[in-house]
Amino acid sequence: MQVGVLGVATTKFGELWGVSPRQLVRQVVTEALAQSRLELKDIEALYVGNMLSGILGGQENLGALFASELRLTCPAFKIEGACASGGLAFYNASLAVRSGVFKNALVVGVEKMTDHKPEEAAMGLMGAGSDSERQAGATFPALYALMARVHMQKYGTSEEEMAAVAVKNHYHASLNGKAHFLNQITLEQVLKSPQIADPLKLLDCSPISDGAAAAVISSGLPKSIKPIWIKGAGVATDSLGLDRRADLTSLNSAIAAAKTAYREAGITPKDIDIAEVHDCFTIAEIMALEDLGFYEKGKAGKAVLKGETTLGKGKLTVNTSGGLKACGHPVGATGVKQVAEIVTQLRGEAGKKQVTGAKIGLAHNVGGTGAVAVVHIFSS
Amino acid sequence: MLSPVKLWRNQKYTRELLGKSGKVVSFTVIRVPPAGFESQAPYPVVLVDLGGRLQIGQLVDVQAHQIRTGLRVRAVIRRVRQPDPEGVIPYGVKFKPVV
Repeated sequence: MQVGVLGVATTKFGELWGVSPRQLVRQVVTEALAQSRLELKDIEALYVGNMLSGILGGQENLGALFASELRLTCPAFKIEGACASGGLAFYNASLAVRSGVFKNALVVGVEKMTDHKPEEAAMGLMGAGSDSERQAGATFPALYALMARVHMQKYGTSEEEMAAVAVKNHYHASLNGKAHFLNQITLEQVLKSPQIADPLKLLDCSPISDGAAAAVISSGLPKSIKPIWIKGAGVATDSLGLDRRADLTSLNSAIAAAKTAYREAGITPKDIDIAEVHDCFTIAEIMALEDLGFYEKGKAGKAVLKGETTLGKGKLTVNTSGGLKACGHPVGATGVKQVAEIVTQLRGEAGKKQVTGAKIGLAHNVGGTGAVAVVHIFSS
Repeated sequence: MLSPVKLWRNQKYTRELLGKSGKVVSFTVIRVPPAGFESQAPYPVVLVDLGGRLQIGQLVDVQAHQIRTGLRVRAVIRRVRQPDPEGVIPYGVKFKPVV
């Protein structure tokens, strides 16, 4: 069955101390439904992507919580897969619509992180890691730093190449009014920013953010709306802990998820015009560009430094939203925001950050250090 | 939050690792720690190749300039983190350089 995305929305990402998760969700649902020309009564199932509401906020049962907030009594589910929660919620909703059980499903990704101290947020996020990683006092910047160092040794990847990812994504975010950071930065600023977990510096890292995003998936396509089609999808998993991996310079889950999605879509990496990839840290974008087949191992960092993936420069534009680095990373919302950005681009409605003639887009969302990855391919 | 039962159950993994030695394959220094580790920061964390299997852990008894890939280290027992006010003290594996 052909399934499409009818409407999408995101809130402003950032430190939203005056706004509750309920308000964030109401806002994106209202916008996404209006764009879909649907009403709440047309929604047959709700999928909520969220990671930290239990460990940080003491609140679980989010399916029912947000359904009742929206005055819905339909089936509702919380989907958790660390920072891939949003992408996995979208995946599950689209499966349900493809199965024919539901005609219209609503996906919401939401996270409220800045109400808590950095140490608490880091502890909560480490729930996505393994026992031995927690015992080591590791954090996600540290785990990606361990991968970055091996990538640097094996492929000669430089701190400057990693910094170029942050510079590009801040430039894209400066064109996105909803991004957490609207300021452009320079290579020098990244390289001189304080160390967080060597060799990763402050400006190599995505921020702790609040935000929400929504998407409406449907098999019933009104003539008045041009849907964006879901052409392929893949999910794959790997060990929770880095110390059980065969390779520290690739995420095997991302490679496998991408393979499934490309096969289902009947396309190759060369066909992709735009990609939203999971740049929780700058090294993660470099690994993603390689894992997704856009560049050979060891070549992606050099390509980013040359500007090949910057808006208006090359064949493939990456992270027009600003990515996790600069648009912000409210973890449960991120995967849904990626979909929202791709859909908006493919409709030609992305404003100043529009990629001219974009027809096929890819979203790549990762949980943990690659314990789970989800890849979606969309076309206009 | 720290369950004494879980700590007791996981002791077998600690016993398996103690005394084993290997080489550092990657390292970092954590400057922004998770809750429970504030008093130790900044501290190095290493991935160690114990002869065919990797193990992650903190590196202790080391000067900053000594940390490098290839460094030979050995698994030792140390207090892991700050315990809860009335909880058990969690012990586990950390690594120290082999001299």
